[in-house]
Amino acid sequence: MLPEQHDILFSFIAIAFALFGIYVFANVILNCREREGANITKWGGIFGAFAIACFSMTVHMFSLVQADQLAFFFSTYLWLVVILLITWGVFLKSNSMEAQSPPIIRGFFFWTTVSLLLAGYTNWLPQQRSDPPPREAAVVGDLTMEEFAEMGRVIIFGAKQVAGQKSIGKGQCPLCHTFDPGDHMGRCPNLFGVEKRSHDRVKENRYATSPIAVGEVEPSSGIVKGKWDEVPEEYRRQHGPDEFTGEDYIRESVMCPTCYVVKDFGNDGDTRSPMPVIIKPPISLSRTEVNAVIAYLQSKDTPGEFATVTVPLPQDDAGNTGGAVVEDTSSDEDAPVFVTGNEDMQTMINTLGCPLCHTIPGIEGAVGELGPKLHEKINAPQRIKDPNYKGKATNTREYVRESILDPGAYVVFNEAEGESFPDGLMPTTFSEMLSVRALDKLVDFISQTEAPAGS
Amino acid sequence: MSGKNKLSIKAFSLGLLLAMAMYFVPGMTSDAIAKEVSAEQVFAEEAFAKEVQAEEALEGEGEAEVEWSQDVFYKDWEGNPLKGPVSGFPAPELGPSDYNNYEFAPSRMLLWVANQQHLYFGSFVLAVPIFCMLIEFIGIRTKEEDPVMSAKYDRLAHDLMKVSLTAYSWTAILGGILLFTFITLFPGFFKYMAGIFRPVMHVYALMFLAESGILYVYYYGWDRMSEDKFLKWIHCSLAVLLNLVGTVLMYLANSWATFMQAPGGIDSEGRFLGNIWHVIHSTLWNPVGVHRILGNIVFGGGIVGAYAAYHYLTAKNEEEKAHYDWVCYVAMFICIFGLIPLPFAGYWLMKEVYAFRQQMGITLMGGIMAWLFIIQAVMIGLLFFAANSYLHNGMARVKGSHRYMKYCKYMILLLILCFTMWMTPHTIVMTPAELKAMGGAQHPIIGHFGVMSAKNTAVNLMITTTILCFLLYQRANKKINVPWATVGNCWIAAIFVGAAANIIFLGIYGYFLPANQRVGLSVPQVTTTLTTLFAGTAINISMFKDSESYGDIQWGSQSKVGTYAIFLLAISFTWLMGLMGYIRSAVRLFWHVTEVVRDNSVDAYTLTIGEAGKMLTFNTLFVWTQFVVVFWVGSLTGKSVEAKAPEGVPVPAQQQQ
Repeated sequence: MLPEQHDILFSFIAIAFALFGIYVFANVILNCREREGANITKWGGIFGAFAIACFSMTVHMFSLVQADQLAFFFSTYLWLVVILLITWGVFLKSNSMEAQSPPIIRGFFFWTTVSLLLAGYTNWLPQQRSDPPPREAAVVGDLTMEEFAEMGRVIIFGAKQVAGQKSIGKGQCPLCHTFDPGDHMGRCPNLFGVEKRSHDRVKENRYATSPIAVGEVEPSSGIVKGKWDEVPEEYRRQHGPDEFTGEDYIRESVMCPTCYVVKDFGNDGDTRSPMPVIIKPPISLSRTEVNAVIAYLQSKDTPGEFATVTVPLPQDDAGNTGGAVVEDTSSDEDAPVFVTGNEDMQTMINTLGCPLCHTIPGIEGAVGELGPKLHEKINAPQRIKDPNYKGKATNTREYVRESILDPGAYVVFNEAEGESFPDGLMPTTFSEMLSVRALDKLVDFISQTEAPAGS
Repeated sequence: MSGKNKLSIKAFSLGLLLAMAMYFVPGMTSDAIAKEVSAEQVFAEEAFAKEVQAEEALEGEGEAEVEWSQDVFYKDWEGNPLKGPVSGFPAPELGPSDYNNYEFAPSRMLLWVANQQHLYFGSFVLAVPIFCMLIEFIGIRTKEEDPVMSAKYDRLAHDLMKVSLTAYSWTAILGGILLFTFITLFPGFFKYMAGIFRPVMHVYALMFLAESGILYVYYYGWDRMSEDKFLKWIHCSLAVLLNLVGTVLMYLANSWATFMQAPGGIDSEGRFLGNIWHVIHSTLWNPVGVHRILGNIVFGGGIVGAYAAYHYLTAKNEEEKAHYDWVCYVAMFICIFGLIPLPFAGYWLMKEVYAFRQQMGITLMGGIMAWLFIIQAVMIGLLFFAANSYLHNGMARVKGSHRYMKYCKYMILLLILCFTMWMTPHTIVMTPAELKAMGGAQHPIIGHFGVMSAKNTAVNLMITTTILCFLLYQRANKKINVPWATVGNCWIAAIFVGAAANIIFLGIYGYFLPANQRVGLSVPQVTTTLTTLFAGTAINISMFKDSESYGDIQWGSQSKVGTYAIFLLAISFTWLMGLMGYIRSAVRLFWHVTEVVRDNSVDAYTLTIGEAGKMLTFNTLFVWTQFVVVFWVGSLTGKSVEAKAPEGVPVPAQQQQ
C-alpha cells in the first residue's frame, strides 16, 4: 500500500470491530429481554454508546491514511474495544447470564490476536525493499577509470552496502561468488585474484579441452570458446593483441559460463555451469556494463591501482554503439556541476543536490530523509567520540569537511530505522565539485546547523 | 478387545499410507520424474524429426516457410537447446497502457487478494472430496461389521460435502473475480498468457463443467444411491472421479503459475514453439502439484478440524460433544498425515528451483527472501507444536495413556530444542556496532546452527518426534498381547533411536563436507525419517492384533487447550500457505514471466517483510471470515440430524480392537 492509501489490514479490522460493537449491543439486548430484572435501559444505553463509538471510529479510520490509521488504531480504537470487552464481561457476570462470551467471539479474538502477532513479528524483523534494477547504468560525461571500476562494483554489489551481509546489485554476483581472500561459501569460485588467474587459466590444458574444446560453439550462449574475435560484435573487444587475453577470459566467463567450468563448481560432472549468461535475461548487462564489471574485477585486488585494467573507458570505446548512455558534455546545460563559492548558501546547497537526501535547517526545501539530518553543531562532537568513529577529525569543522569529502569515513546510525544509513549512497566526488572557497563556506555553514528550537 | 472396526482401522491407515506414498514416490524419484526422462526424450525426438523434416523441406524448396527457434528450458538428448517451430508472437514489452489501477490500492495488492482468496477456497474444495472419498469408503467397508459406525462415517462424509457444496459456488465466484481483476488491471500481461495458454484455458473451463456435474450428482444422489449396495459403490466411485477431475483442474491451473516462474516451451523472445505440453509441464509443474495436493489435505483437515472444534465448544449436550470431538480427531488425523510428508515435497520443489536457476534458489534461501524462510521455519515450528499439543492433550482422555504421558515433556523439550535450531538464521542484517560486538557476521557458537546441516537435522528430528508421539497416541489404550510384543517394542525403539542417531550423525558429518556435497545428505536424512513413519506405523499396527483395551476413549472430554491447538493449527497453516505462495510468486522479482516478460508496472518492487506480513494477515482473516459465512450458509439448509453416538462410547476405528 502506498503511504497515501488506507492500510488494508487495519481497515478490515476496524470494520470487524464496528460489527463486533453491534453484535455485543444485540447480544446484551437479547440477554436483557430474556432475564427478568436486567436493566435493559441502562445496559442498552451503555452498549448502544459503545456500538456508536465503534462505528464512528471505523468511519474515522477511513478518513485517515496508513500511518495515521495505525497510530489511531493503537492509541484509541484498540483501547475502546478492550474497555468494551471488560464492560461486556461485567454485564455477563453481574447478571449471571453466561460464564463467558460466546465461542464465536472467543474464536474471533483468538484468530485476530494470533494473526496480528504474526504480522507484528514480520514488522519487527529488518525491513528491506527491493526495487527492480535499472535497465542500464547511465554514464554521464567522461569517466575516470576509478569511476568506471566503481560503476562495475555497483553493478555487482548495488549502491547499498549493509553491514553483516553483501548487498546484491544488478549483476547478482554475490549470490554465489565471494570476493575476499579465504571467504569460501562453496557455491561458486572465490573471485579474489581473478585478474591474475585470468592470464594463467587460458594456458592450462584443462581450459583447452574441458568441457568443450577451444574453437567449439557453446550451445546455450552461442559463444565460440577461446576466440575473442568471434564474440558477438556488440560485445567484442575493439583493440589490443591478437591472442586471447586475460580480459577476454573474464569476458568469456560472464558471457559463456559453461565455456570453462572451474573444477567442483559445475553440474553434471563439471560439464555445465550453474551461472546464468549475464548478457541475457534476467541480468542483461550492456556492453558498457560488462566492461565496467571487468574493470572492477581487474582492479579490485589492488585498491587505487588501475594499471591492470585493459578494458577501454566508455568514451574511448569504439565499439560502444549504444549500450549505455554516454552524454555529450559540450553543452553548458550538461556541464559538470561546480560551485565556486560566490553563490549564496541556498544556491550552493541546491546546486550540489544535498536537499535530495538531507534535512538542513535554514535551507528552504531541504527536507530529504535518505541521509541523516544535518544538526552538526550538536551531533558532530558526539560522533567524534563514538567508539565506532574511525575518521581523523578532532573538531566539528574537521568532521564536517571529512564527511563531505569522504562520506564513508563514518556512517551515521539511523535511530528511527534501527540500522545505519546506507553506505555508498552519498557521492564521493564533491572534491571535484567545490572550490576551496566554496568548501570552506559550506563547512562553516553546516558546522553551525542545529535542530530548530522546540523540535 | 472387540473385533469390530478391525477392517476400518486397516483400511483407513492403509488408504492414507497409500495416498501419501502415491504423492511421495515422485519426490523420492525426483530426478527421474522431474525431468520426465522418457517422455522428454520422446518429445525431443519428435521435435528433432520435425526439425529435420523442415530442414529437408527447406533444402528442397529453397525458401523458409517455418521459423525455428531454441527453447528456453528443454534440451534434446545431447544437452543442446531443443528447437521448435515458432508458433506465436513475441512477448510484449509492457508499457504504462498495459496496466490499470484504482486509486485506493495498488493493482498488485488487489490481484494478490483476489488470487489468494480463490486459492484458499480452491484448496478447501479440492481437499474435502478426498476426505469424503476415504471416509465414505471406510463407511462402506464397515457396514456389515458395525452398521452404527458405518452410518456415522457416511453422515460425516455427507455433512462435509454439504459444506463443500456452498464453498464450491463461492470458489467459482472468487475465480470470476480473479479473472476480471487480471483482465482489467493487467490486460497486456493477460493477453500474452491467454495467447500461450488458450487451449488450456478452454479445457480448464470444460473440466470445471465436468467437476460441477459430478459434484452435483455425487451430493444430491447421496441418499438415493445409499439404498442399494451396488449403487453405493457407484457413488463412491463418483468420489474417485470427482477427485481425479479436481486434480486435473488444479494441475491445469498450476501450469500457469509454474510457467510464470520457470517457463518452458517458448524461446527467449517469449514465442510459443508449438508444443502445448512443454508449456504445461515446465520444470516446476510436478513438484508444485504434489506440494499443493498435500497442502490442500492439511489445509482442508485444518478447516474441518476448526469447524468441528467450534461446534465442540458450542455443543449443547454430551452426544454432540462426543461427536464433534471425534470429528476433530478424524480431521487432525488426516491433517497430520498430510503435514508429515509436506516438508519433503517442499524440499523437492526447492531442489527443482535450484536446478532451474541456482540464483533463484539462492535468492530464496540466502538472498532477499531469506528472512521469509526464517518466518516459514517459525510457522512450521508452530504447526508441529500445535499438532503435538493436540496429541498430548488428546492422549489425556485415553485410558491407559498414563504409561506414555511421562514421555511428553521430553518430546516437548526436544521439539523446543529443534525449533530453536531450525529458526536460527544464517546471517542477519546488523548495525556495525552489533557486528563488531558479535565478532563477525555469524555468531561463533550458535552461528553453526544457521546452516542447512543443522536445520535439516532439526526438522527431521521434529518430524520423527511427531511420528513417535502419534504412535504412542495410537497404542495409548491398548494392552499389547501378541507373543512377539517385546521383540516388536524393541524393534520400534531401535528404529527410532537408530533414526535419531543417523540423522544427528549425518547432520554433523555435513559440517565436514563442501556445500555442494552436503546438500546430498538431506536424502538419507529424509529416508531415515520416512523409515520411522512407514516401518514404525506398520509394526505398531501389527502389534494391535489381539490387544486388550484399557478402556474406552472418553469422547467429548477434549481439553480446551487441545481444542485451541486445533484453532492454532488452522490459523498457522492458513498464514503459512499464504506466505509460501507469496514467496513462490515473489521470487520472480521484477518479472511477470521469468526472464521473458518484464514487469514494468509501478508495483514491480519486492515488498518489505512487514508489508507482506500485513497482507498475509489480512488474507488469513478475510478468508476465515468467508469460511464462517459459508459454514453458516451451509447450516441454513436445515440442521442435519446429528448422528447419535452409538450405544456405549463411539470409539473410532483407529482406537478400537
